Amino acid sequence: MNGELLYIGWNHRVATLDLREKLAYSPDEAREALEGLFRAHILTEGCIVSTCNRSELYGLTEREDGIPEIADFLSRFHGIERDVLLGAATSARGDESVRHLFRVASGLDSLVLGEAQILGQIREALRRAVEHGTARSITNRLFQAAVECGKRVRTETSLGTRPASVPGIALSLTGRLFDTLSGRRVLLIGAGETVELTARLLIDDGVTDIVFCNRTQEKAEALASSFSGRTIPWDQRTAAFADVDVVLSATGAQEPIVEAASLKKVLSKRRRGPLLVLDLAVPRDIEPAVDDIADVYRYDLDTLSELVKKNTLERQAEVPRASAIVEESVDKFMDWVSTLSQLDVLKALRAKLEDTRQKELQRYGPKLARLGDDERELVNRLTESLVAKILHEPTIGLKTGGVAERLERAHVIKTLFRLEEDSH
Amino acid sequence: MPTILHSGSAGTIFGFVALACYAFSAGFYIAFLKKPRPLFGWLATGLAATGALLNLESLYARSVALKSVPYRDIVGSLALLGFFLAVLNILLELRHRDRSLGPFLMPVVFVLLLVALELPMAKTAPAPELRGPVFALHVTLNMLGYAAFAVACALSALYLMVGRSLKRKKGLTLDGPFSRFPSLSYLERANRTSLGVGVVASTAAFCLGAFWATRVWRADHPNWVLDPKIVTVLLILVFYWVVLVRAHRGAAPVTTARLSVAGFLLVLVSYTAINLLFSKLHVFT
Repeated sequence: MNGELLYIGWNHRVATLDLREKLAYSPDEAREALEGLFRAHILTEGCIVSTCNRSELYGLTEREDGIPEIADFLSRFHGIERDVLLGAATSARGDESVRHLFRVASGLDSLVLGEAQILGQIREALRRAVEHGTARSITNRLFQAAVECGKRVRTETSLGTRPASVPGIALSLTGRLFDTLSGRRVLLIGAGETVELTARLLIDDGVTDIVFCNRTQEKAEALASSFSGRTIPWDQRTAAFADVDVVLSATGAQEPIVEAASLKKVLSKRRRGPLLVLDLAVPRDIEPAVDDIADVYRYDLDTLSELVKKNTLERQAEVPRASAIVEESVDKFMDWVSTLSQLDVLKALRAKLEDTRQKELQRYGPKLARLGDDERELVNRLTESLVAKILHEPTIGLKTGGVAERLERAHVIKTLFRLEEDSH
Repeated sequence: MPTILHSGSAGTIFGFVALACYAFSAGFYIAFLKKPRPLFGWLATGLAATGALLNLESLYARSVALKSVPYRDIVGSLALLGFFLAVLNILLELRHRDRSLGPFLMPVVFVLLLVALELPMAKTAPAPELRGPVFALHVTLNMLGYAAFAVACALSALYLMVGRSLKRKKGLTLDGPFSRFPSLSYLERANRTSLGVGVVASTAAFCLGAFWATRVWRADHPNWVLDPKIVTVLLILVFYWVVLVRAHRGAAPVTTARLSVAGFLLVLVSYTAINLLFSKLHVFT
């Protein structure tokens, strides 16, 4: 294997959202950037992972100054100052870069620990890079190993089984009340980001009947037209509880907008089974006394956040097991890499010794010419045997011991025999 | 003079093997609820099905030995009730791909068969009036009704348990055994269906019983309608009709669930105390 794996990236831990937004790549931009790096002889192959939480570039370089060179290139590519980029970057070379990608794929480096979306995003990044021809033998294998590692973490640990975000928890709760959300009627009160995001999630879950309600009717109507829903006037918000299965309220009101007493009256005429009420507003939109009404299941941010916290703690308990899987996967991948390195070193060493043997035979050519054919053949065999004997011990040494040990030995052999100089 | 019959040992052997199957099935259902390993699930269902087949075989062997329907005595009727419960459990499981009822129903099935096997069996041939299809159908439908009410009770108890766990804010959890229970809306629907089956079967059984009584009891017991068992069953039937109609009209599911549990408690009282202590006419022979 010629070159070394590296990565440089900007993620939610270090880089601001502003910077991450500027560094986001469309599939075509990712190809363009990688091709530029190939043309500049900074990378020989590579793949870019670009999500809302990270923009990371993985590749193979033959240059010692690979990382600063990539930063220079990306600074020009994105039009961002080099110092700004380097100040918020994380990077690594060799097995550290492999470990980082495997941790990312496992959800160990995610904003919401253990989230599953990243695995699909890595798979997609690889698919595009293969399609564009930028991920070749090493990065292709690296990303496939990362996906495999992520899958193992998900199947062998419960890192990703419990939702750990407020929308995730809210959707889990609907599953406890209803077999499916499809065919259910949902009332969304408010017109902010939470309501919009929830509407999107509900549509993904097959909900087709969404009712929007907001103090400013125009805003509710705008949302309704975006999500093929309908609206009700603000003063009918409490009455509407009788005809829906799920209510989500997230307004900026300073006082409760739904009172328990009036809701109890409305629900006495209700004929729809259990009602799920999700109050995501601070301060609360719905009076907590609603809990006393039969078949009404109300959750506010306090309860949901508690669940998020609990699930996050439970996920954290799985981190050691997940990390052990990552380490196993890194070892396996580096083993494969070291095999490539060993093969390269052995090949180069054999070539160098054979070259030396030939040169020496040539040097002694006139003297050997005095010998008979049988003697010359004997000398030839003798030198061949010497080369084979000399190669025997290094061959064994490169094939036994741990990965790090073998890579170290390969490096020593390369240095002592000056194999790199010869290959240039 | 009544004919003394053989005890029906074949039926008893099948009964004990069925009992063992039910016991292991209940154990695997509970294990599956705690840790949902597919093997536990398959063993639970497979053993429940094997137990039900052997239970049926046991009833058939007893029927041959008694020369009558095998459930005219309490032993047979408990065994039949257990059989219906096991079958309903399997049917609901296959229909909804859900094993959450098994941990509640199969222990009951086990207890029913255990009691049936422990009690002394009728040793005399049935009176002529206890033979014939009307009587057989009356008892069979009654047992089906009881089994359906038992399932409704189990579903309702689950509804109340799940609902309570969801209402509780402190310590609310989305994992553990509760997370493997079906949704509230499923429990509510399934409860309505079970109530429907129970009400229809019990009403038909009551009508057939009344028809049989007018022919057999009219001469010797003109006031058979006032027998405590008949009065209790009629009241229970009215109660269940009211619950069912209310449920179909959209009554609060939690109220329907509570009434279903209460209704089954009445059924148990009617099935045991009323039959054994108060009824003069409606007694197991």
